[in-house]
Amino acid sequence: MNDRLIQTLLPIGADILRSLMIAAGIVVFSFFLIRMIPGDIVDVMGIQGTLTYGQQDAMRESLRLNEGWWSQFTAWLGMVAGGDFGVSLRYGTPILDLLRVALAPTLILGASALGIGLTLGVGLPVLACVFPKSIFVALVQFITLWSIVVPTFSIGILCVIVFAVWLGWIPAIGNMVVPAVILGMDTAGTLAKMLHEDMVDTERAAFVRTARAKGLSRWQIVLRHILPNALTVVVALFGILLAGALTGAITMEVVFGLPGLGTLTLQAIQGRDYPVVQAVVIWLGLTVVLANLISDLVQRSLDPRIGR
Amino acid sequence: MTVSVAYVVAVRRSRISPLTATGIAIVGTMIGVALLGPLLSPHDPYQFSVRMNEGPSIDHWLGTDDQGHDVLSRLIAGTRLSLMFGAGAALIALGIGAALSLMALSLGRIVETGVFSMFDLIRALPGILFALAFVAAFEPGAFSVMLALGVSFSPMFAMITRATWRQQMARPYVAAAQVLGASRLRITIVHVLPNIIGALITQFAIILPRCIVLESVMSFLGLGVSPETPTWGRMIANATQYTEAAPHAVLAPIIALSVATFGMALIGDALRRGFDPDRRRIAL
Repeated sequence: MNDRLIQTLLPIGADILRSLMIAAGIVVFSFFLIRMIPGDIVDVMGIQGTLTYGQQDAMRESLRLNEGWWSQFTAWLGMVAGGDFGVSLRYGTPILDLLRVALAPTLILGASALGIGLTLGVGLPVLACVFPKSIFVALVQFITLWSIVVPTFSIGILCVIVFAVWLGWIPAIGNMVVPAVILGMDTAGTLAKMLHEDMVDTERAAFVRTARAKGLSRWQIVLRHILPNALTVVVALFGILLAGALTGAITMEVVFGLPGLGTLTLQAIQGRDYPVVQAVVIWLGLTVVLANLISDLVQRSLDPRIGR
Repeated sequence: MTVSVAYVVAVRRSRISPLTATGIAIVGTMIGVALLGPLLSPHDPYQFSVRMNEGPSIDHWLGTDDQGHDVLSRLIAGTRLSLMFGAGAALIALGIGAALSLMALSLGRIVETGVFSMFDLIRALPGILFALAFVAAFEPGAFSVMLALGVSFSPMFAMITRATWRQQMARPYVAAAQVLGASRLRITIVHVLPNIIGALITQFAIILPRCIVLESVMSFLGLGVSPETPTWGRMIANATQYTEAAPHAVLAPIIALSVATFGMALIGDALRRGFDPDRRRIAL
């Protein structure tokens, strides 16, 4: 009994430990990435001619830039651990406030893209499995091919030109439906491909034959026996799909002029507002790590064969 | 060694479908344009003129952009640049991903865990964000863009290397080599590597178009090469400010980019299916 408990808990602990290590890696990485940039903010402001030498020294003092990297690192780590990412150099406002404002569009865009992606990505393969000789099989193949060969970036710009500039159906700035559909189709393609292949494989399993022999309907077989088996694929892909949706959201925001995290990051990079970049890297990185951890754990509880 | 035979067989097995043939035709044309480059170009791609944002005409087949450059000439120059940046980035990704992971795999468990944690770390950061931060940390320029893309795509090669390496290590020929006293490093490089090169080439074909797109995205976001360099992404970035006056200037590079990635992705997908007939998901 005790052995079995250890056997189930050990891999879970290892998963959590690994995620913690990666999370720590992201935090350290984002710190040193900024340190690698030659010059500091005081230099940048000095070149702009807004500071005297005395002010430069005073500013370095107040920002603790004249101390060694280790004491800077620990001081910064203490701040970040308390949820304080510092102040934006460009706007002078706390970064957390900026993030909070920018989070909403990104979250809505990412969530609706994931929603569309999951609906299409699960719905189409299920329909294709229930009606194997119907148009749904072709639709699965179409959306799979679509996600492989059509980059969201170029189709996004094309949509802006056609729908916003030429047809005038949507505003050129601030539309959220079109980017959500574009991203959603991309997610759906990746998912539909995996799920369809898995469901076709499961179709040949002995338990499906048994279910058929019992006289269950197509719908019952697919929904009760094939889909739950293939659903581990969805869970396994969740982290990757989320990362993909977030990455896509960043590009789409800039293309469609949405004031989200992507636009914020881009402006921060262009304006050398590095603490903001740092904060976004940490936020998004940790979100993805968390999503991956959850998907690993759920997968483990769904499929007892994993990790034995 | 046997690598070429195995690969040819795998490619043969994929049979050339009409879609794949389309892909080959597109990529062939693209390579031709990239090689011939300046010979095909009707104008100097860097030549300014006062004829700004003009529509297509006999003199300028695809019109001119906001600075009076000939769009067709820039498109041709951009073909070479985009292909070079994409291929450079994908090669760096292949080099880092495959070499590091093979080394780590043959050096044992501890090194493997360390190296693959690093790849997991890179994978956890949204790719574009990683590349943006990377380029921001170094001098913006052609090489740092390639390096940033290469590093952010390297986990894709590491994952596939590890998966196929593990499959191969379970094969009898590896056991035979072990019995003969070959070290893990020797087995990995001399015996296993030739057998996984096909999977790596396939992955390369899948990653290449993504590198080209991401390079364009970065140029579009203003973090790629210098503004006057006519990569497709730069052309898109400049022209999107004038979509109403000169839609042709943005449509031309967008269509070129779409068609190129379409063709490459078709070839990559055909290779994958040929190499992976059981549709086993080796890696994403």
